[in-house]
Amino acid sequence: MNDQVNEDIEIASSSIVKQSARDFAAAIAETPQFKAFEQAAYAFRNDQAAQQAMQALQQKQQSLRPLMQLNALNNIQREELLELQSAFTSQPVVQEYFSAQVELTTLCQALGDELSGAIGLNYAAACVASCCG
Amino acid sequence: METILSPTMQEATNVFISNLLASEAFIRYHQSQTLLDHDSKAQALLNQLSQAQTDLRKKQAESSLSKDEIDSLRALQTQARENDVIQGYADAQQDVIKFLREINEEINQLLGIDFASFTKHSGCC
Repeated sequence: MNDQVNEDIEIASSSIVKQSARDFAAAIAETPQFKAFEQAAYAFRNDQAAQQAMQALQQKQQSLRPLMQLNALNNIQREELLELQSAFTSQPVVQEYFSAQVELTTLCQALGDELSGAIGLNYAAACVASCCG
Repeated sequence: METILSPTMQEATNVFISNLLASEAFIRYHQSQTLLDHDSKAQALLNQLSQAQTDLRKKQAESSLSKDEIDSLRALQTQARENDVIQGYADAQQDVIKFLREINEEINQLLGIDFASFTKHSGCC
């Protein structure tokens, strides 16, 4: 029965759908939000102070992970961690990166909502492995 | 606050959506969904299965679950698996998700980010 119905419907081939997906991505790449995000990501990757602050924070988080999982940090350890977090997030390039990420996320969420509404499936849930298994 | 899309972005989005909906995977998915929505036997079976799963979870929490109840749920699950309309919908849904992931990968490759992750609203699931 389905095949009979399909005879009357114009089917878009996989290559046409993929081309329109690439055109869609190219349009996103031209948005001010994406350009700002790329620029901020580049600045962040090339800022030595920000990279060092990030590495110091990651190393501390890694060394304290077992205690953090048990919620067993003492006050000194908690303070050390907060200081490193603050040293990282107070870097201007990091703030610019986070701000650009928020702007791009807002745009992508609007696009995702439009896609999900039209196709009758949650785009993110269909494409991203769920944290709920 | 609503995000205003530029005419170029809106046009690219509209074309992308039209082509997705005209793809074989989506046509089959929506057809199988319509069949399922209009099949009273399949609907009744899914409702029964959903109710049985709810009851089972409740009894499991109360530690009052019997072997007969587990067997009864398994029998319903088997009936659902053997129902052509339900199975057709489940297969079509799997195919459309696989296709959508391939399409998302095209977008990711061009942008260098995981687009679907950026579309997620905060909170788990």
